[in-house]
Amino acid sequence: MIRAMLQRSLLFALLWWVLVEGRPDSWGLGLLAICAALWASLRQLPPGSRRLSLTGLLGYLTFFVSNSVRGGAQVAWMALRGRQALQPAILEWEMALPPGAPSVLLLNTLGLMPGTLGVELTDDRLRIHVVDERLPILAEVAVLEAHIARMFGVGT
Amino acid sequence: MLEMASGGLLCIGAFFFFAGTLGLLRFPDVYCRLHALAKADNLGLGCLLLGLALQADSLAAALKLLLIWPLGLAASAGVSYAIARRADALGIAPWRRKDP
Repeated sequence: MIRAMLQRSLLFALLWWVLVEGRPDSWGLGLLAICAALWASLRQLPPGSRRLSLTGLLGYLTFFVSNSVRGGAQVAWMALRGRQALQPAILEWEMALPPGAPSVLLLNTLGLMPGTLGVELTDDRLRIHVVDERLPILAEVAVLEAHIARMFGVGT
Repeated sequence: MLEMASGGLLCIGAFFFFAGTLGLLRFPDVYCRLHALAKADNLGLGCLLLGLALQADSLAAALKLLLIWPLGLAASAGVSYAIARRADALGIAPWRRKDP
């Protein structure tokens, strides 16, 4: 508990320092903001309820950044070619991740990955709009799901 | 050197914003347009912010610029899903190719 509070205070202090661009004269208000943020974070996310794996997080972030670049380039190329480059379809995906944060993260990440857009998430099913059904998109969703499962330390 | 890298990134970012807007105008339905906006504009935003951060006066100012990216990503992902879901609930069928 004490350790989590210290870690979070440090994180919020860093965030405040970034927000005020390192000016030293605003730490009075900053202290107030840090306390308020700490209180809210302890309420919303009690310590010990969920631990993220650091290597999992790193793996996810690497995957995310490289696929963002690929997704942006792919859709830019399609925009230049016009609608003959498209072959949209709606695919179904069975969620293996538990509901809550892991599922929501998968859904939101899909909106930024190449060729996919979540349309409807129910308890264990996700309908995905894909921009070109000829691409091996479901295999990529499986890779993303594995990354998220590893990060949250849950089995799929 | 830093100036050149920054300028290059800003140009790349502008190109992706251009491509995203082009997709918004040219793609046939709401779902495909969301693809264009969410992906191209986010990459464009990332490049712009990285380019600006290279020119920032202090480390804190650079980090502040980079902090905008994840916030923009989260907003764009959430809003894309909200629009797609609403369109789907209203029964708007996705555009399909006539000649598969």
